[in-house]
Amino acid sequence: MATATLDATARPTPPPRRRAGARSTLTAGSSLGLGIAVTWFSLLVLIPLTAIVATSAGRGWSGYIVTITNPQTMAAIQLTVGQSLLVTGINIVMGTLIAWVLVRDRFWGKSVLDVIIDIPFALPTIVAGLVLLGLYGNGSPIGLDWAYTERAVMLALAFVTLPFIVRTVQPVLEELDHDVEEAAASLGAKRLTIFRRIILPSLAPAIAAGAALSFARAIAEYGSLVLLSGNKPFTTEVVSVRVLSFIENGSTESAAAVASLMLAVALFVIVVLDVVQRRVSRRG
Amino acid sequence: MSIEVTNVTKKYGDFYALDDVSVSLPTGQLTALLGPSGGGKSTLLRIIAGLDTADSGTVAIEGTNATRLPPQKRNVGFVFQHYAVFKHMTVAKNVAFGLEIRKTPKAEVKRRVGELLELVHLSQFADRLPSQLSGGQRQRMALARALAVEPTVLLLDEPFGALDAKVRKELRDWLRRLHDEVHVTTVFVTHDQEEAMEVADEIVVINHGRVEQVGSPDQLYDEPASDFVMGFLGEVTRLGPVRLRPHDVEVATSPGRAGAIPGTVTRLLRVGFEVRLQVQLGDEFGTGAEPVSVVLSRSHARSLDLELGSKVWLTAAVGAVTVPAMIAV
Amino acid sequence: MVEVSTPVKWLLRVLAIGYVFLLVAWPVSTIVREAFADGLGTFVEIFSDEQAVNALTLTVQVAVQAVLINLVFGVGISLLLVRYEFPGKRVLSALVDLPMAVSPVVVGLSLLLVYNGRDGWFGEHLEKWGVQIIFSGTGMIMATCFVALPLVIREVVPVLTEIGDDQEQAARSLGANARQTFLRITLPSIKWAVVYGVVLSLARSLGEFGAVKIVSGNVANQTQTATLLVEKQYQSFDQAGAYAVSFILAFVSVLCIVVVSILRPKEHSK
Ligand SMILES: Nc1ncnc2c1ncn2[C@@H]1O[C@H](COP(=O)(O)OP(=O)(O)OP(=O)(O)O)[C@@H](O)[C@H]1O
Ligand SMILES: [Mg+2]
Repeated sequence: MATATLDATARPTPPPRRRAGARSTLTAGSSLGLGIAVTWFSLLVLIPLTAIVATSAGRGWSGYIVTITNPQTMAAIQLTVGQSLLVTGINIVMGTLIAWVLVRDRFWGKSVLDVIIDIPFALPTIVAGLVLLGLYGNGSPIGLDWAYTERAVMLALAFVTLPFIVRTVQPVLEELDHDVEEAAASLGAKRLTIFRRIILPSLAPAIAAGAALSFARAIAEYGSLVLLSGNKPFTTEVVSVRVLSFIENGSTESAAAVASLMLAVALFVIVVLDVVQRRVSRRG
Repeated sequence: MSIEVTNVTKKYGDFYALDDVSVSLPTGQLTALLGPSGGGKSTLLRIIAGLDTADSGTVAIEGTNATRLPPQKRNVGFVFQHYAVFKHMTVAKNVAFGLEIRKTPKAEVKRRVGELLELVHLSQFADRLPSQLSGGQRQRMALARALAVEPTVLLLDEPFGALDAKVRKELRDWLRRLHDEVHVTTVFVTHDQEEAMEVADEIVVINHGRVEQVGSPDQLYDEPASDFVMGFLGEVTRLGPVRLRPHDVEVATSPGRAGAIPGTVTRLLRVGFEVRLQVQLGDEFGTGAEPVSVVLSRSHARSLDLELGSKVWLTAAVGAVTVPAMIAV
Repeated sequence: MVEVSTPVKWLLRVLAIGYVFLLVAWPVSTIVREAFADGLGTFVEIFSDEQAVNALTLTVQVAVQAVLINLVFGVGISLLLVRYEFPGKRVLSALVDLPMAVSPVVVGLSLLLVYNGRDGWFGEHLEKWGVQIIFSGTGMIMATCFVALPLVIREVVPVLTEIGDDQEQAARSLGANARQTFLRITLPSIKWAVVYGVVLSLARSLGEFGAVKIVSGNVANQTQTATLLVEKQYQSFDQAGAYAVSFILAFVSVLCIVVVSILRPKEHSK
């Protein structure tokens, strides 16, 4: 047998695996589907939302500023943003706490608690307002009469936003690796330290996502406030109610101007969600 | 030739998963696509099956140009690395799927499914769900499912990759026997050289998106076309300017032969009939250099009277397969 | 797992239960008391009141149509987002979440601006061809579709991602075409996610208020849905009527939630 002597060609190592970027993998059928879906989505969502921005620009920048800085509108904005921040703060604490109890605690009736958390998602908002009125309104069985006050606004917002942080934090908490906590404990960390240094950082993206959603929902809320807050200008009138009264008065440009602010908040929240989701999936 | 792959290139972004690959796979044979992870084996197999499309180049199956055919028109059977069983269907339903798609009469489907389950030894599990099967059983079911449609070619992507060593070996022998019975042109992907050598009629070695060599297991072992193929198919050691197999290193206890390289035995290990040595070469070859591995038969080692610290002289055996060593890194 | 000490555990448990009880459970339970204050009398009245029956019927019609549209659209777009690569995919996948964050009032206004027959971007032309969207069922369905749009998608996308495309590819290699693969392989695997999505969308659609209020015109017996009726009844001091209709709405939505929560764990253990 002859000695096979061959030249060994050294090849450069290939670059690391990368996902195909903007390349399309659409087939004829799926392109058609995408076309139909995007058309429908544009007609239903994108063009109408664009119309809000376009209409709000109808009276120029100065007109826009005048509408927004109208004292009654400013009061509504202040109230809505203030209450939404407050409620989001409450949710960050209570939502995380409830998620913790649902995941780590065991007690009779826990599954009922789990189901009740979802009720605000599904309950029609007008009904939500009505039921809160039953307990916290005039003739309250517990002797509170918060109807038509700022408290009522807070209450309604807290009700409708309750599930957001609970439902984003809960699955993350369920998947959290117990080993890591035990490892930390074996290294001598105290419970509070473990919570602060190990658990909280892993929950942070979920809490951020839930907080963003709950803030957006609070800013956007309308139905539950109609009956509960009384819609008194300068005291309990929120922005969505303000927009609606502009619409009812036929001043669509003013309505669109205020609505464009709400839309900006919504877009901001969606961007936050997208970023958080991407960060989480990169970790996982 | 059953499968003709010509000048196929596949890029992901600006990375070449396959770079101008041409191979022909003969009818009725069992061919292995062998290569390291990320080399492009699955990509090639998926392009043959039509599950991916090449950026350029053509694929012909049994003489028909299949480059633009969708997978369902190619009549290939594909067995996936992770089985890809239909979780919501029973074993029998899984196997029947391709036949039902082809509107085969009910009685015929029943008969074929029965036969195939017999063939893969799963008859008694016909009504189970895949989740109630073991890994090896699932893999056999996937194979029966692929065979049900009487494919022109059978493509298997690391069919035994996810199984433990023992089951793997069983299924490997079973696949060889099955192929001898059914004679369908078969291509299977593996990164295990032993598996390829044992089962395949022919091996295609793929690395960095290129075909390194095509040949029978013996050809590849005895006449590796490159340093890479040599290294991939078996143990290799470096002796001075060349690389060669440890059993091709000749050991002498005196500096008789021309070009013999002196060294000291630093390790000596008996494994069954073999004796494995590590020989540290002298300083002129660099003290930091890797020691040379040598494999001898036990009797030969005994006749040389080797022990730790023995001074030895090494040469490449006559007719040994050698390739020049790459410049030390 | 690191256990918290018993007093802390109890504190957390009491806080969680207390908060949920005071905020949700107790208030929601008052509706049952109020609705049945006169026994079944109010309900007999409701179901013999033409206006209430019309409102409930309209609500169901609008909701069912909106859910069907969102079902088809949602499953389709989920498949596109998970199974294909195309330019603009990331933007699209973020935008389909947008309706979650947009106020129903903004939704109503936006549709009004584009589709009203007087000076809407498209509405003006559509009106000339005799198509009316605002103040009609079409507008109400569109508003409902808008607000409930992400629900099916958010259920289906994670499941599609999780199951991967192995089974679909296997089906293709066995000779199934795209339609057969979808019906025989993909759909059975995402069945439960679709069911949740539909149930949640239904609950959301039945209860839509703000957006529908703006686009419907709120004309009794024609474009007045159940939620709009509740508002009107309450404001015209027909509390009993408002509570009775609310009870029906609340009952259906709580039922939806319970159905989903019963189905969900079953699927987990499978
Ligand atoms: N969808 C994809 N996007 C980007 N790169 C990809 C994609 N699929 C494969 N690649 C790249 O192409 C190269 C070849 O992949 P392939 O799956 O063919 O490797 P392989 O030889 O089958 O490896 P293994 O033995 O690990 O399965 C790899 O570097 C891989 O990262
Ligand atoms: Mg592979």
